[in-house]
Amino acid sequence: MGPEFGRLAYVRHIITYSLSPFEQRPFAKYFSVGLPNLWRRFRGQVLRVGPLFMAGYALYLWAIEEEQRLKRKNPADYVNDE
Amino acid sequence: HPIIKLINRSLIDLPTPSNISAWWNFGSLLGLTLLIQILTGFFLMMHFSSSDTLAFSSVSYTSREVWFGWLIRNLHTNGASLFFMFIFLHIGRGLYYTSYLHESTWNIGVIMLLLLMATAFMGYVLPWGQMSFWGATVITNLLSATPYVGSTVVPWIWGGPSVDNATLTRFTALHFLLPFALLASLITHLIFLHERGSFNPLGISPNADKIPFHPYFTMKDALGAALAASSLLILALYLPALLGDPENFTPANSMITPTHIKPEWYFLFAYAILRSIPNKLGGVLAMFSSILVLFLMPALHTAKQQPMSMRPMSQLLFWALTLDFLLLTWIGGQPVNPPYILIGQTASLFYFIIILILMPMAGLLENKMVEPTYVTPK
Repeated sequence: MGPEFGRLAYVRHIITYSLSPFEQRPFAKYFSVGLPNLWRRFRGQVLRVGPLFMAGYALYLWAIEEEQRLKRKNPADYVNDE
Repeated sequence: HPIIKLINRSLIDLPTPSNISAWWNFGSLLGLTLLIQILTGFFLMMHFSSSDTLAFSSVSYTSREVWFGWLIRNLHTNGASLFFMFIFLHIGRGLYYTSYLHESTWNIGVIMLLLLMATAFMGYVLPWGQMSFWGATVITNLLSATPYVGSTVVPWIWGGPSVDNATLTRFTALHFLLPFALLASLITHLIFLHERGSFNPLGISPNADKIPFHPYFTMKDALGAALAASSLLILALYLPALLGDPENFTPANSMITPTHIKPEWYFLFAYAILRSIPNKLGGVLAMFSSILVLFLMPALHTAKQQPMSMRPMSQLLFWALTLDFLLLTWIGGQPVNPPYILIGQTASLFYFIIILILMPMAGLLENKMVEPTYVTPK
């Protein structure tokens, strides 16, 4: 059922080397490289996500105030009532 | 041994792309949540009475007198919310990384979404609170908009002239049955998925760099499960009624209509789309179309690059769609007053415009943008 190990892909003339996981530090450079990389990935996406959600939030805040305003009577209309 | 071979090929030696991100955790989380719902639901069903005179008090008895009944109930109600949160994120992953190009897997997934929605809708009716009764009344009444057969079908579904005991008993039976249909669909979904293997965020064939599912993704999924279990427990233990409606603490009364009838949060987007069209049949068609449009996703795909990882215009539209979905969810919970009416109608329109027109157009434009400039050979 589906591709199995041994018949996934034929890759010729590529030699790979790797270290045993028992010969390396498990969280090497987790903060020193990881945090700058997180910042890089954030910068790459923030302008596509941020402005839209800020606009959406502004719309949400405006709509709540507008609904409250529309439910209220205008006091100026009743200024000269006895 | 055939069963061990099956488990081995699906969960242990399954070749998996090395670069699948956290967005790929939601599949296993959904399976886990289904298991939690079946288990907690089974224990709740042991004490539940599906008669309209006994349902509410049997749920109350389960919460108060049954050993850890309160916890089982809280896990079940909040588990349903978690189920929908995960499925929305799972579908979002499918849209962003164009997983819908695995058509069979995708179509079964959409069927599973429909089954889940039906199960959750009927499950909410069972406690027979005010919102259970009136939510069932509103939504089942919508089917009367169906031309010719509508007015006959609705009493047939109700089992009488209105939502009553007969409706509750059949919803109980269906609510017990459908999760097993969901389980069968899940197995079929996985069979089709494993035919081709998982996709990956880069959008190129991962076959040259695959790693076994165990231990890498069993461990990663275990981490995801631990985080999911923590959120479920935080909800169930600290904030059990956060996502619920206070009206459902009142027993159902057909003579008293709640001021604001609305479904649970996960249906609010569909409720907003339903209410945005002044015509009853139009609203019903728009509401169903908002889910059924997912079946069209493979046909609407125009980009040559598969996922959106390197397609900024499509990314922008994806996030616009996400924002639109959130706005619709918010609007669905609000009363039908200005300015919510106009926002709801605009958001409903944009939902369909983004999916049916803008995203395909963006794909075509992005194809043009990556075409190499022709260089005249010397």
